[in-house]
Amino acid sequence: MQILMKSNQSALKELELATGEIVSDCYQCGKCTAGCPASMDPSPSVLIHYLKLGLFEKAVNSESIWSCMGCLTCSERCPKNVSPAAIVEGLKRLHLNRMKPRVILHALGQEFLANSTQQAVVSGFRKFV
Amino acid sequence: MSKNLTHVPYYPGCSLKTKALGYERSAMDCAKAIGFEMHEIATWNCCGASFPLTKDNLMGLAAPANILLEAEQHCQEREIDANLITLCSFCYNTLKRTDFAFREEPKKLETLNAFLKRQYQGSIKVVHYLEYLRDVIGFDNLAKMVKRDMSSLRVAPYYGCLLLKPQKEMALDDPEEPVILHDFLEAIGCQVVDFPGQVDCCGSYLIMRDPEKVLELSHNILQEANDYGADALVTACPLCQSNLDQSEGERRGSDHYIGVQGMPIFYFTQLLAVALGLDTEPHQFERHCIDPTSILSACLEDGAKPIEAKK
Repeated sequence: MQILMKSNQSALKELELATGEIVSDCYQCGKCTAGCPASMDPSPSVLIHYLKLGLFEKAVNSESIWSCMGCLTCSERCPKNVSPAAIVEGLKRLHLNRMKPRVILHALGQEFLANSTQQAVVSGFRKFV
Repeated sequence: MSKNLTHVPYYPGCSLKTKALGYERSAMDCAKAIGFEMHEIATWNCCGASFPLTKDNLMGLAAPANILLEAEQHCQEREIDANLITLCSFCYNTLKRTDFAFREEPKKLETLNAFLKRQYQGSIKVVHYLEYLRDVIGFDNLAKMVKRDMSSLRVAPYYGCLLLKPQKEMALDDPEEPVILHDFLEAIGCQVVDFPGQVDCCGSYLIMRDPEKVLELSHNILQEANDYGADALVTACPLCQSNLDQSEGERRGSDHYIGVQGMPIFYFTQLLAVALGLDTEPHQFERHCIDPTSILSACLEDGAKPIEAKK
């Protein structure tokens, strides 16, 4: 248990270092969650709560982080200047660093690639692969 | 005549050369009619489309930094004002935020310069086409150039996300209650339909992972615009345009779309071209899922200048 706690602590440090955000700044007002167009569940504020409780694995393995579209509504509205979008992106990156892509490229199909807008594909490569 | 046009460097980006070709062409045609000429910078690369939200991701800044460098060189060689005009919201967001990051943290610029083995001096000012119209041309001057009566069109301005957020860095307009597209539409003589979905997200790049979610979000926006009485939506982003347009096209005729029928999604420059009395033939209306020509027929017929309208 103690080892687990320690690894959670260092993982959170790593996340904070990568994102430049301070998780403990959040006071759980829930404005981010209220405005989230992706209706993330667990929501941004719950994810941050997990992190504060030391439940790092729970946060990083939440399916909801993959529905974030980076619209920045949450970050714009946060009264404490925390950017939940950046924290979610940090979680995604840590997940991807473990070599688990969320979109299997060859499964996308030619039709998708032919019809989609380029910027969506480029962004998708950055966020999901 | 073309000698008198102001030379403004322009960065297109990936979508403008493919899916959103109509956006680029209409913007360039309008620019010439207004009195400036957009010159594509000599060499450019993809900007990376989305600005990296995590602060330690310097690699993500390399591509936009290279574009700023190319633009700087372009301006220095020609001894012109160091503006760089963009059309796509994603490019605008990425380039402007990169520039902001370099100003805030010069160390980042130092590292990138060393990595790229070039020296970016930070002279480039990234401006959106809309911003250029508002701040350099002026919407009141624009209004005087309008040649067609657009008053029959009820248009809802749709901003999306990346054009405005984060406000501290983009500094274009208020992120919750923006007015720049409203003012633009008013200037060209449209009826403006203010609707609450104007800054909601269309689903963006989630189209790659969860197209159903994008359909749902885009549908909500369209439905809301429709409920507020809009005939058409106007946007500045190629991805917003295609998400909204395709989702409307895809769901047309199904139970989901009881209210919304054939509401076209325009790039703001396409409407500007109509208002300025230009030939809209090259602006690729035929590539829209929802055909925009029928809604324009009234404006095109009443226009001061004859134009080969398709209908």
